[in-house]
Amino acid sequence: MKTMKHLSIFIIALAFTAACATQERTVQPQSQPVNVEALVYPELNTFVMPELTTFELDNGIKFYLVEDDEVPLINLRMNIRGGSLLVPDDKVGLHSIMTNAMRNGGSEAYPENELNQLLEDRAARIEFGMGLTSGSATLNALNEDFYDLLPVLVDVLMNPMLPEDKIELAIRQTRSGIARRNDDSQQIGFREFTKLIYGDDSPQARTTEHWTLDAITREAIKDFHSKVYSGKNMSIGLVGDFKVDEIRPILEEVFSEIPAGERNELDFAEVEYDFEPEIYFVDKRDVNQSVILMGHIGGMRDNPDYAALQAMNEVLSGGFSGRLFQNVRSDQGLAYSVFGVYGSNAFYPGQFYAGVFTRSEATADAIEAVKREMVRLQEEPVSMEELEDTRNSILNSLVFRNVSRASVLNQRMNNDFLGLPADSFERYIDELREITPEDIQRVAREYMRPGDMKILVVGHGGEIGDQLSRFGNVQEIDITIRRSLEEEEMIAGDADGGSEWLNKMAHAILEDGDIEGTFVQEGSVQLNTPMGAINMDRTERINFREGTFLVEMRNTPQGDITIDVSPDAGKVLVGGQEIPLPPAQAQQQIGEYLTHYLNILAHRDSYTAELMGSEEVNGAEAIHLRLRGDRDLNFFLNPDTGLPVKLSYMDFNPMMGDEVEVAMYYEDWQKSDGVAVAYTVSNKVAGEAQATIAITSHSME
Amino acid sequence: MKRINLLSVALLILVLLPFHADAQSLEAFEERVTEFTLDNGLHFIVVERNVAPVAHFFTLVDVGSANEPVGRTGIAHIYEHMVFKGSKTVGTTNYEEEVKYINQMDEAYTAWLRERNKFEPDEEKLEELWASFQELQDRAGEFVVNNEFTQIIEREGAAGVNAFASADATGYFYSLPQNKAELWFMLEADRFMNPVMREFYVEKEVIFEERRQRVDSNPFGRLLEELSATAFSAHPYKNPVIGWPSDIRNTTIADTWEYHEQFYAPSSFTIAIVGDVDPVEMRRLAEKYFGPMQYRDPAPELLVEEPEQRGERRFVIEERSQPIYIEGYHAVNNQHPDYQALNLLSNILSSGRTSRLYRRMVVEDQIALQASTLNGYPGSKYPGLFLAFVVPNQDVDMETVEETLREELRKIKDEGVTEEELTRARTNARANLVRSLTSNQGIAQLFAFAHVNSGNWRALFTDVDRLNDVTPEDIQRVANEYLRKNARTVGMIVNVQDEDDEVASN
Repeated sequence: MKTMKHLSIFIIALAFTAACATQERTVQPQSQPVNVEALVYPELNTFVMPELTTFELDNGIKFYLVEDDEVPLINLRMNIRGGSLLVPDDKVGLHSIMTNAMRNGGSEAYPENELNQLLEDRAARIEFGMGLTSGSATLNALNEDFYDLLPVLVDVLMNPMLPEDKIELAIRQTRSGIARRNDDSQQIGFREFTKLIYGDDSPQARTTEHWTLDAITREAIKDFHSKVYSGKNMSIGLVGDFKVDEIRPILEEVFSEIPAGERNELDFAEVEYDFEPEIYFVDKRDVNQSVILMGHIGGMRDNPDYAALQAMNEVLSGGFSGRLFQNVRSDQGLAYSVFGVYGSNAFYPGQFYAGVFTRSEATADAIEAVKREMVRLQEEPVSMEELEDTRNSILNSLVFRNVSRASVLNQRMNNDFLGLPADSFERYIDELREITPEDIQRVAREYMRPGDMKILVVGHGGEIGDQLSRFGNVQEIDITIRRSLEEEEMIAGDADGGSEWLNKMAHAILEDGDIEGTFVQEGSVQLNTPMGAINMDRTERINFREGTFLVEMRNTPQGDITIDVSPDAGKVLVGGQEIPLPPAQAQQQIGEYLTHYLNILAHRDSYTAELMGSEEVNGAEAIHLRLRGDRDLNFFLNPDTGLPVKLSYMDFNPMMGDEVEVAMYYEDWQKSDGVAVAYTVSNKVAGEAQATIAITSHSME
Repeated sequence: MKRINLLSVALLILVLLPFHADAQSLEAFEERVTEFTLDNGLHFIVVERNVAPVAHFFTLVDVGSANEPVGRTGIAHIYEHMVFKGSKTVGTTNYEEEVKYINQMDEAYTAWLRERNKFEPDEEKLEELWASFQELQDRAGEFVVNNEFTQIIEREGAAGVNAFASADATGYFYSLPQNKAELWFMLEADRFMNPVMREFYVEKEVIFEERRQRVDSNPFGRLLEELSATAFSAHPYKNPVIGWPSDIRNTTIADTWEYHEQFYAPSSFTIAIVGDVDPVEMRRLAEKYFGPMQYRDPAPELLVEEPEQRGERRFVIEERSQPIYIEGYHAVNNQHPDYQALNLLSNILSSGRTSRLYRRMVVEDQIALQASTLNGYPGSKYPGLFLAFVVPNQDVDMETVEETLREELRKIKDEGVTEEELTRARTNARANLVRSLTSNQGIAQLFAFAHVNSGNWRALFTDVDRLNDVTPEDIQRVANEYLRKNARTVGMIVNVQDEDDEVASN
């Protein structure tokens, strides 16, 4: 009975649930209509501006304090006026070796291990860093630990031991970083683009190299240390769980010992910039996406058009609503990342650029698509609606400027550091409210020059093919990592050395340095094919100057074949049948002779020679001579004789669908009729041995 | 009841003193947190934080790439992108017309796929099918109002608009001025209740670009993808979140609807709102806008279990970039009693300058630029991997890296860790929690995840308390139990400088 009752209740409950469920399915709940315009927003709550206390010590240190008791932490951030800008050219990287060794070496009172334990037992942090124009020193700790750790921060900052082993460790790590700097295409892109804008040797763009690390000594670090860490270059912000009245005397005591020193001047040389349309390329074979950056030099923060430029930038590349995002990404599906910025800096002109990462095949299309959006901003005024959306987007998100008490402090410190008036942001906002579509079009025309951009592509040369040539003469950037400055300088264009060696090679091969008449050569060729080796005999009669090639091959699997190519006609004779060759095919048939050293020498005026240093080829030192032309050729010469031992170049291989390296190895040079010829030539394509040529005789007619 | 003597109380206080913030924070938060579940199963957590007149909105959906059907990897992420395309009213000039073309377009694409995936596709037919697909795509595109959803919110001042898909979960988030909370409710409910597959196939192109950027063209991305694929045999943690290329290509709108029907039930949603908001008003708006969201059966559970690994697995990627070493061990899910011990082990190994791997590999032997460990990759809802990865210094060979790492692990297995190390690891875990509780977004994410993982946001604080129960013996035990050779997958990138060799080996 009892059981029954329970059961029936259970059944009723079940039925009830089922009914409810059915009801839920039959009565479709109405979703709320979407009408954003109809929403009425309550007034925005106000941000209670925290009180900001500032004071300055006799030694010049400026303090900025804001109380914030949300969590029991205190955060100190010192801003240091000075940075890599002040490091001499031969010691680039010194600033970061210094901050690294400071923190990792500790001070005499708080050496490495003690310092680390002291901090990590309290989950506290002390860190140092330094950039181009400013450095930082931070201490973040629980309020109760903060006061004990404050003298530690000052001691490690001002009296670091800078032990040699920590300097060496930092240098070693930086060298590893150099080795890795070409792994990531974005890193390559931004680094090289900055060089294109400001110049390779500018403080903005120069990079730490093995030889600049070689030049960094403990003495140099100590000198630099005393120059940057002095009272007149320090400003300190504190935010956290403290009372200003209580902490102020402690700060005064701890920091008053620091010497005042001299205020560092942050002077940049004028950027020498030419507005020229240029296309640059970095070949990176392990990617399938091109990193594209395009733009030119930007402007200064005190430009009266700053607000209009910011608005223009927002229209072009602001968030999901910017035109680049909408058109290049959402509409055309050309990229996941597309972005842009008109940079305005306080100390030197910023950069204007747009970037897009797209599949190799779409590289040129993406460049065009981005460029089109820039041009459109110049040609058509933005609609009032788009401008209002843009303006509102900026104005409505202003509230996010102050999302914490710390942000108030940071803005104030930042303004003071950059030398901007305290009300510069308010002024910007006032100006922004007044911007018209005409203003945006005007600044787009005045400051943006889409026709004169430097375009940089980092991507897979084989996949990109010749897409870039439509943007001009493609200049390839060599990002090879060099070990020494000598090596680097040789690369930087030892044109004199280049023409000297080219001349030496010419005279080693040609008695009078020139070639006249018809060259005749006899020999045999062994070709490696997937079906096995094929052997044939061959006689060539070539006038390199006039461009006539007559090649007779005997005993091939197709019988005898004759190829006859002149500048205006080409034909093949196979089994008594004559087949005309269209020009493209004719060029292909004689491809081997176009890169023949005699042909190169006959036309050497159309190449620029560069000496690239020396390299090992088959176990012996060889001079690397690069000839830049329609196709870049790398000759490797015997340093004693000047005769080539190897030639390598990139060639498009239709079988592989990719550019592959072709290498020719020359041996057994013999002289006849004033011309030296390599009697044994072997050839490798993409590392695979493809053919061997054995010459038996040669002469000039 | 357990007897507590005075000495142990004193010890307890001593241990708890540094960063005692946990218990304190929990109490402080209790007063500021309002929680409720709508009748349809959708759960809300509202945290009042009046630091500034802004609020952060975080929609966490308890479904990730681990839930994807076979052959449709990447679909969780594809759907995440679709959520930004608006709704039946936002982002279109006429949905009724638009959807006709969208459906036809999907049929056309499916027909093209069918031909393409044949053994010997007819090229001519393929071209025709593609052309008709493209035409329909263009027709559908005529109704699109480009990015209207994001246009509206950005115009109203939205900040940090974004979303993520991971192996375990999918999240959507942005911040607004606090007075515009209702805008968020209106649009968020709308985009999940009236979802659309707008610009689906163009967006897949965007996703392919994302894949090229994050994986194909990034050495570390390539390494991680290979690691998961090698370490897991059965469990979907083997698949990349972004999906395998052929799966992305083969995924249609119809597939995506099916996936959505199964997994986007209201009970899969946890929404956290943190900022200067009134919880009573938030609840009213939640009922108003999300109340009508149709009840659906909860998402099906993933039942796949990774079988016991039978031996160590290894792979080597030979390429032009610099070497990286990684190893992963099968470990436990985040509700397993050993999960916290493994977290602490990871801390002791690689967090901070006093950690074991940093001291040994970076400072003493100088063989590594970086040595890190991580518990719970690629996720932790199901048993994931305990990872150790090393970025070697220049000219250091991989054998040295591997042997040194192994030696350090062996020391812990044989000799254990000190009480001092453990205390430091606990202190730092607490400190990290406190530091991340200082932004609206940090609070929203931590609370929502804690709720999804443990069914209660308080777990965030109680988990940290539970760290006190972990003993040095526990650390030694989990090291022995999980960091075993048979549970290990070793992967590395080895630099091949000689281009001839590389091409030849292709």
